[in-house]
Amino acid sequence: MQSFLRQSLTASMLVFAMIGGAAQAQRSDPLKTLIVAVSSDPANLEPGTNRAEPIGSEIILNVFDTLVAWTPPAFTALEGRLAASWIVSADGTAFNFKLRPGVKFHDGAELDADAVKFSLERTRDINPYMKANFGLIADIAVVAPLEVRITLKEPMPVFLSLLAQPQAAIVSPTAVKKFGDKFNVNPVGTGPFSFVSYTPDTSVVLNANPNYFRGPSKLTRIIYRVIPQASTRRLELENGGIDISQQNGQLSAIPVEDIKALQGNRAIDIIEVPSQIIRQLEFNNSRTDSPIRDLRVRRALAHAIDYDGLLKGVLGDTAERVYGPLTTNSWAFNPKMKELAPGYDPAKSRQLLAEAGIKPGDLKFTLYSFQGSLWGSIATFLQANFAAVGVNVTVEQTEFPSFRALHTGGKHEIALDGRQPWYNDPDAHITIGYLSGLADSAMTFRMPKDQDLDALIVKAQTTVDFAKRRDLYFEVQEKLMERVPAAFLFSNKLIVFKRANVKGLVINSAPPLSEYWGVSKE
Amino acid sequence: MTRFTLGRLLALGPVLGLVLLIIFSLARIIPGDPAITLLGPGATSEQIKALRDQLRLDQPAPAQFFAYLAGLSHGDLGKSMKTGQPVFDEILLRLPATLELSILATLLALVIGIPIGVLSAIRSNSMLDHVIRVVSLVGVSVPAFLLALVLQLIFGIYLGWLPVSGRSSPYIIADPITGFAILDGLLQADLELVVDALSHVILPCLVLTAFLAATLGRFVRNMMIEVMTEDYIRTARAKGLAEQAVLFTHGLRNALLPAVTIVGLKFAEMLGGAILTETVFAWPGIGRFMFEAIRNRDYPVIQGATLVFALLFMLTSLLVDLVYALLDPRIRKRMS
Repeated sequence: MQSFLRQSLTASMLVFAMIGGAAQAQRSDPLKTLIVAVSSDPANLEPGTNRAEPIGSEIILNVFDTLVAWTPPAFTALEGRLAASWIVSADGTAFNFKLRPGVKFHDGAELDADAVKFSLERTRDINPYMKANFGLIADIAVVAPLEVRITLKEPMPVFLSLLAQPQAAIVSPTAVKKFGDKFNVNPVGTGPFSFVSYTPDTSVVLNANPNYFRGPSKLTRIIYRVIPQASTRRLELENGGIDISQQNGQLSAIPVEDIKALQGNRAIDIIEVPSQIIRQLEFNNSRTDSPIRDLRVRRALAHAIDYDGLLKGVLGDTAERVYGPLTTNSWAFNPKMKELAPGYDPAKSRQLLAEAGIKPGDLKFTLYSFQGSLWGSIATFLQANFAAVGVNVTVEQTEFPSFRALHTGGKHEIALDGRQPWYNDPDAHITIGYLSGLADSAMTFRMPKDQDLDALIVKAQTTVDFAKRRDLYFEVQEKLMERVPAAFLFSNKLIVFKRANVKGLVINSAPPLSEYWGVSKE
Repeated sequence: MTRFTLGRLLALGPVLGLVLLIIFSLARIIPGDPAITLLGPGATSEQIKALRDQLRLDQPAPAQFFAYLAGLSHGDLGKSMKTGQPVFDEILLRLPATLELSILATLLALVIGIPIGVLSAIRSNSMLDHVIRVVSLVGVSVPAFLLALVLQLIFGIYLGWLPVSGRSSPYIIADPITGFAILDGLLQADLELVVDALSHVILPCLVLTAFLAATLGRFVRNMMIEVMTEDYIRTARAKGLAEQAVLFTHGLRNALLPAVTIVGLKFAEMLGGAILTETVFAWPGIGRFMFEAIRNRDYPVIQGATLVFALLFMLTSLLVDLVYALLDPRIRKRMS
């Protein structure tokens, strides 16, 4: 009976195969295939349309190469990728890049200066996310087949950092012409992995590039699996259905429960590295009709917060203390901030409020926040801290677009906010956050007009000499701390869960994107 | 009958137009801006404005509506604001996954629900009936996500018999032919593909089946008990018909008529509403796609997917009416 059934099944399948005439499915070697779980589809897979969305950005960095990249594991210095070397003019407006010879795109085309010019001009022209920064490019000239010169309208020391971004990756001009609008789902670069397929809501498949100029990867394939539910990702990781689980949802959730559950599992490693993300209780520094304009009130609120209690009790040590406008791992972090940062001191807080003429119970604020359980817990914790010094706070968690409108409209007095820098430079936190001219342009600290401080920020942003620039940022931090524009709460650690047999994974802090070229499985 | 079908098909146009107008307005009434949502908290107003210009969100709503209608007249559902890909292609890619799951879940519900309904009716108020009642109650009332998690833990983790999530093993990469994973496996004459697809569909299918089978079981039981007291059943017995013939030819056939409506409507609901099951099992269906689109305020996707849901719902409802007519000669007569 069984053999009859098997014969019938085989016969019917042969009939189906004759009708279908389809190609055979491919099988991957599990030991050479890395499966990375992500929470949602990548929004875009190519530099021209990428808007710093994390999943697509990481895929881009594995399929394409940039001219320069941050050097692992410290990520504090830039190294050449497609650029063999480069020279920056003394005034910081001209960048001369010599390209590596013999590098080929996945479609076989040669990498040359024309491709670099084509790619950067394309991103400048079609990517709204890069419009402001790349708008400062005056000219991109092809000097020689492997030499390109980029001239800026004004000095921008951060320009090299921007060139390490996924949006500045170099695309194959022939592939762009071939695929047109569909290049977004047929990306072709020079990177360690070449694009194979994208099945929406299911997976993105990349194959190792055997001709990669830094040598082929030990892996033969990477599969990004889209698994929206955090609990399913955890079960899949425990079950070996995935090798790496990334935490992209750090705005709304911290994986404290996952860490607790997976800590005892020998088959799983938890990687925790410092990030450059900052979360803060932001004061609306432009309000002139609120008690928040009083420096003593701002200091009192900053002293009322139990920072260590927040890190341990609410965040379960998944975050680190942040002392000022920059994280401790930034190259421009001023160590003096550790002394200048207001510590937890409820008595001092009460005293400052009394000095400001405020009686306990008289001061009332609405604390606006993003939605989500993480922000809710932080807001409630702060509410209790403030109540202890006699300040009444009502928590209001608002849907993001409404929250943004309220914030950029300057209607709040205090709000929870944060910034995740996408390029490794203090400019990513300081200029947009504290320059008074940009107060309304985004969710900023809404700094009031202050010519000296503004001039200092712009000078730090545009000074070409590295040491001088760092000193200027030291000064900016001290000046900002005198004003207490916010209570700086914490910096999330980047947390990645991986199977223990996955080796060589290095996590970048800004942007928090992983390159899998050096990864292998045992 | 043909006239009835044609009339119903002609009515599709105006109804879909109305659905479109409502969903177009609703999508824009709910707070939120796609450009702000897509760019996230770090974006500057300049970046948001540039994206708004690119997505043509700066145009007045009526102008956007007429531009959308103009596109629709050429069969163009627009492009997704998130991915820039045609909405029609995006829906078409996901529809087979949802259809495959819904069809299998409905078939399984019929296979389980009808026999337990009949069994409960025959042995009404017996111990068996009480047990089935309790199991059905659990099936109807346990939330889908909880049932999904329990099934994942038992069959995926502890027993290791079935995969936890997904539609196929990530280590097998097959070119889709029809988009229906099981059928594609058969067409490729690849037994491993068929077994792999079947093993992935079982758990999400069970979650969807639980509710429908329990509802159907209770419904068939009650209808059977009612039908079995009818005069024509007494006549059938008096004629000396065998009890089995009385039960199945006269009892069940009549009891099943109203069940067709329930199955039809629940099937149509599954096509658009299996969001939780699809999310927990990472099943790449249309419900999850719609949910993401609403979160991102991806207007063209919300509009396009709603139109497809409405169309599927109306076609299923038409199909139910036609099946009704096939089963019941009185309705067939009324239709013609």
